[in-house]
Amino acid sequence: MSKVKNDKDAAQGIPGVINDSADQSGTTVHPDPFSNLEGLRLSQDHLEAVGLKKQLMTVPVRKPSKEWFVRVHPDSDYRLETAVVELKEEGEIYLVDRSLWPELASESTFHYKAFFTAISRPGNVPFLWPVRMPGEDGKLDSWNESATEIATSIATKEWTRCVSNRYLGAYEPQIASASESWGEPQWPDMPFNELLRLAFKNAFINTVDHPVLRRLRGEE
Amino acid sequence: MVDFEYGSAPGELPEVRCMVARELFTGRLIRLWEDQLSGLPQPPFKIDHHSLFVAYLASAELGCFEVLEWSPPQRILDLYVEFKRLTSGRQVPAGRGLLGALAYFGIASMEAAEKNGMRELALRGGSYSGEEKVALLDYCQTDVDSLAKLLPAMESHIDLPRALLRGRYMVAVARMESAGVPIDLETFKRIQDHWDDIKLSVVRELDAGRGIYEGTSFRTQRFADYLHRAGIAWPLLESGQPALDDKTFKDMAAMHPHEIGPIRELRYALSSLRLNSLAVGSDGRNRCMLSPFMSRTGRNQPSNAKFIFGPAVWLRSLIKPDEGCAIAYIDYEQQEFALAAALSGDEAMMNAYRSGDPYLAFARQAGAVPPDATKQSHKSEREQFKVCALAVQYGMGAEALAVKLGVSKWRGRHLLELHRETYPRYWQWSDAVEARAVLTGKLTSTFGWQVHAVAGANPRSLRNFPLQANGAEMLRLACCLATERGIKVCAPVHDAVLVEAPSGDIDRVVAETQAVMTEASELVVPGFPLRTDYEVVRWPDRYRDPRGQTMWNCVMGVINKIGLPAGQEGHGADMHPVGCANANPVHSIISY
Repeated sequence: MSKVKNDKDAAQGIPGVINDSADQSGTTVHPDPFSNLEGLRLSQDHLEAVGLKKQLMTVPVRKPSKEWFVRVHPDSDYRLETAVVELKEEGEIYLVDRSLWPELASESTFHYKAFFTAISRPGNVPFLWPVRMPGEDGKLDSWNESATEIATSIATKEWTRCVSNRYLGAYEPQIASASESWGEPQWPDMPFNELLRLAFKNAFINTVDHPVLRRLRGEE
Repeated sequence: MVDFEYGSAPGELPEVRCMVARELFTGRLIRLWEDQLSGLPQPPFKIDHHSLFVAYLASAELGCFEVLEWSPPQRILDLYVEFKRLTSGRQVPAGRGLLGALAYFGIASMEAAEKNGMRELALRGGSYSGEEKVALLDYCQTDVDSLAKLLPAMESHIDLPRALLRGRYMVAVARMESAGVPIDLETFKRIQDHWDDIKLSVVRELDAGRGIYEGTSFRTQRFADYLHRAGIAWPLLESGQPALDDKTFKDMAAMHPHEIGPIRELRYALSSLRLNSLAVGSDGRNRCMLSPFMSRTGRNQPSNAKFIFGPAVWLRSLIKPDEGCAIAYIDYEQQEFALAAALSGDEAMMNAYRSGDPYLAFARQAGAVPPDATKQSHKSEREQFKVCALAVQYGMGAEALAVKLGVSKWRGRHLLELHRETYPRYWQWSDAVEARAVLTGKLTSTFGWQVHAVAGANPRSLRNFPLQANGAEMLRLACCLATERGIKVCAPVHDAVLVEAPSGDIDRVVAETQAVMTEASELVVPGFPLRTDYEVVRWPDRYRDPRGQTMWNCVMGVINKIGLPAGQEGHGADMHPVGCANANPVHSIISY
């Protein structure tokens, strides 16, 4: 830092200084703007400022991808056992109103399913995982049996991959070695019935005249 | 309202010609020529905290204060800085000089040609006739009168308390510009004098075994062949030719420091380096305008050619403390990562920074390495997570990240996914940054620097703004505190400062500088102090940057080979046997 000469009002009587009017003496005491720098801080909480919140618009209904690790919501309120019409060719699944179940019992596309609220990694995408339930005869194939076991007992606690084993005829759970460090999933802040509404917003059969049923009956 | 006219030869301190000042409220006018000014122990106006010192690019005026050994004003309002802030991110039709600012507000001013003529007169130096003195003083007064018109026009746009903080930084800038960076003048002059000979020889030396050059001409096909032989995957243009821009070379040199680093240095040295532009004064100090607030993020943006910390990193080995002195390069550790963590409030990210090695912590948190992994045991994983963490802050996509790392696109995508999943709060915050910019049309940093988000603004730049702008705030505060506490800061360098002291005092000065840097960090992100790292270089050693070490050794080797004395090289540490193309970089004082 450079050496500084003694402080004094050096303007007195020197050529070049034109005193147009009286010197302004300090009449106002100004607050020191540097005495409280913390007070000058502007918030950087952009989240708070814009109130940005992601709105969930779509909830896929699907099996977990072979590449995903998933977690299943441990709360039983986030599950549903119900019946659906599943059109495998189209990859479509329709929720069926309970009043229609007796009438559709013999329909080959009609199945009882359990829906588990799950979330994927990567992507953090919430989805409904459908797993077939035992039919009228109480039997369940080993694929769906193993999927149910994984969804209810393992993926509720650990990030788990559902790996199919053709020789075993069942899914095998593969728990992520980093499951602990990945931490808990961020579940959507939304009740289950709202998730269900998003998942089946255009896929709910509540009348025998529903176009899907008419098509299955060969009426159109 | 104050303006100086001065001359300034490259690298030298300003030569004051005259000063005009006017007190706004009283109308009191002061017009003084250099001989009158130099006799004054203090400025002929009040500079205490009851008075406001108004100037345009005040660092220039304050540089004259330094030369005149006057105390700096306590309250400074720099209308250049405030105009830059007001228009940051926007196109300004007539530029950001004083005339441009006047034009922006529709205030009539003198013609640019007339202004240039008077500037030339000020730069000329030598003796001035009475008429010339009056003409220069009159010209200087027009600038002061312009300030008096500009201030009321800008008043409603000025956020005064924070504007004063920016003005305070201009004192630090003047002090740093005045201090300059110590340069080994003798070696610099030798390189300068024999540059044409050196260039040819250096090409031969560095290109040996590579075969990229024909004479001093870079041949793209030969380069492609070299890449093939060396097994280096290189980004291609749509035409199928290798991308040859400096950004690509910089990224690839970071990945392949031994193979590509010297080629990048060589290409820059042959195509862009203007040795004569490096501003070194007769006292061996590199001094140039630090161009404070010049970038949109408010960072300094000194001239690449004039500043020793420009892109030619090998030239940095010219930095050498004077006899009996030492310099220290003190930088914030992972400043941008820390800011991303603290500003977003992402606890996992904050914990990663607190761990001391955020990149390894990121790999651990993502489950990519075991909890007991170390820098040594998982070097390559750490490097990948480091590059990923840095890339995220610049909004890099999976493909570019994959190229940067030399991995598959899938791996690049996976790393980015891991970042999103490990630091979800950071991503929410980053989304909000972009949304806020779009919704409000601007972003503002902690102490009020701002950028306008005009139509077509790059979302990646907007997301990066808080990290850069707050990093800049932090370093500005550190520079203020350091210089005000008597620390000789030679230069600010992005997220670091170079300080100088007598060898016996350097350890104390380093500790004091680290303390002010921590203090500054807590002013920007309270409760989350940033760590600093440092390296000290004592005379007769010199500064080193590993990225330029091969080139530097080669230049020194060539100087030897063509029979030129190599200067006072201090234990011969810089001399390298001829045939240095594969020289290993020496210990660095820059980590990257």
